[in-house]
Amino acid sequence: MGAAIEIQGLTKLYRNGRGIRDLSLAVEEGEIFGFLGPNGAGKTTVMKIMTGLIRPDAGDVKLFGASVLGDFARAIRPVGCLIETAEAYEYLTAYENLKLAARFYPDVDDRRIDECLELVGLLKYKREKPRRFSLGMKQRLGIAQAILSRPRLLILDEPLNGLDVEGMIEMRRLIRRLKEEEGTTFFISSHLIHDVELTCTRIGVVYEGRLLGTDTTENILANHSSLEHYFVSEVERGGRA
Amino acid sequence: MDGLRAAFAAETFKLWKKKKIIAAAILSILAVLVGQLAVAVVNASLGLRVVGSGEFPLIVLSFCGYTVFPLFVIFAAADMFNGEVSAHTMKLALTRPVSRFGVFSAKVGALAVFIAANLLFVLALSLAAGIAFNPSSLGFGGLIRVAVAYAVTFFPVFVFGLLVVLLANLVRGGLAVFFLSILLFVGFHAAGLFFSRFESFLVTSMFDWYRHWIAESVNLAKILRQALILLGCGMMLFAAGFWLFDRKEL
Repeated sequence: MGAAIEIQGLTKLYRNGRGIRDLSLAVEEGEIFGFLGPNGAGKTTVMKIMTGLIRPDAGDVKLFGASVLGDFARAIRPVGCLIETAEAYEYLTAYENLKLAARFYPDVDDRRIDECLELVGLLKYKREKPRRFSLGMKQRLGIAQAILSRPRLLILDEPLNGLDVEGMIEMRRLIRRLKEEEGTTFFISSHLIHDVELTCTRIGVVYEGRLLGTDTTENILANHSSLEHYFVSEVERGGRA
Repeated sequence: MDGLRAAFAAETFKLWKKKKIIAAAILSILAVLVGQLAVAVVNASLGLRVVGSGEFPLIVLSFCGYTVFPLFVIFAAADMFNGEVSAHTMKLALTRPVSRFGVFSAKVGALAVFIAANLLFVLALSLAAGIAFNPSSLGFGGLIRVAVAYAVTFFPVFVFGLLVVLLANLVRGGLAVFFLSILLFVGFHAAGLFFSRFESFLVTSMFDWYRHWIAESVNLAKILRQALILLGCGMMLFAAGFWLFDRKEL
């Protein structure tokens, strides 16, 4: 299996001095990679660069070998994403929102749209407009949009935001199912250590814009009492360096 | 190319689904109705036929060209750019398999469709009103004349739309873009009055360039000069608008 994501020397600094510095990382196909870090660590910045929403000051991101900076359309084609908050066109119904996204993927038909709505539990609300949806329902619609094109890579920024306990369990189940049945690669950011531990196969810790380290969840749990302990030790080690 | 086509279809669909289309239609109908009412009152009080069915659409065009058309171009363009950024839905368009140039071109293309549809709607409405009130005075030649006037009005309105697109990518708030566009529109007209030598370089002065097209003796040199100025302005505004859009960080 090749690399799904190759991040090379990524730097993006904002005027307030925050951002990311010289971040390099590779994620193999089929992995569920957890990008763990506190709020403001730079997780969303990395994800926004990966999805072409912002430009880096230096470095590049390749998705399945295609550069996001050089050939964005090709790089993003096999990718589904949910960045920051899940948004939808509020004047369109849930179905119309997905139909709009489906125009970009010739093999996505109405059956697939229904299938995605069913997967996230929104099929019975398909003719309703998202302005009447709760935060959790909007999040589900965002997930449905992200998985619509059967992407090989899913980039999910805090995907559990707004979901209730049942929704969180369903989301974890969906992630595992997509990985097992369709071999989907995941790049998931979260500040919730417990969720990352339960979902991800490999974990990277980002702190103050720098990637402190990566390791498999299995190794981490074999060498540390908990993921939380690993996170704290990485942050302390990073702080001393 | 597939991405551009899909983006264009998506942008047109979004525009179609917005309430602004209905508002534009209602305001256009009102403009035509008020115009027809005014003409009917003048005709009745003077006992003369002041305006025939061929002239009525042109009167409506000269009125709407300075009111309804630019107003809805401002609304549509500001909504497409500032509206989507503030609603956080711009990222949905930008994370599809299409380049930023494709997204920008699709939005501008949808704006062009909106302007053309608005012109066509007002043309049909004013023709219908003109014929209904004075059925005998519009011949085939008159119909072509009216159609040409409406068709060529598309270009200055579209170039003005590109100016609003540039502003929409320069200024953050939709409301600021709205007022700035109106200020520029009025300012350009005032500048045209005070600096008449430079008037032909101002986009807004060409909103009535259809008069050259339908005049008794057509001045081809003047039409060509104005067409080239419009083309030049359009290209520069498109390029500048895209330059800003391409650098936008969400």
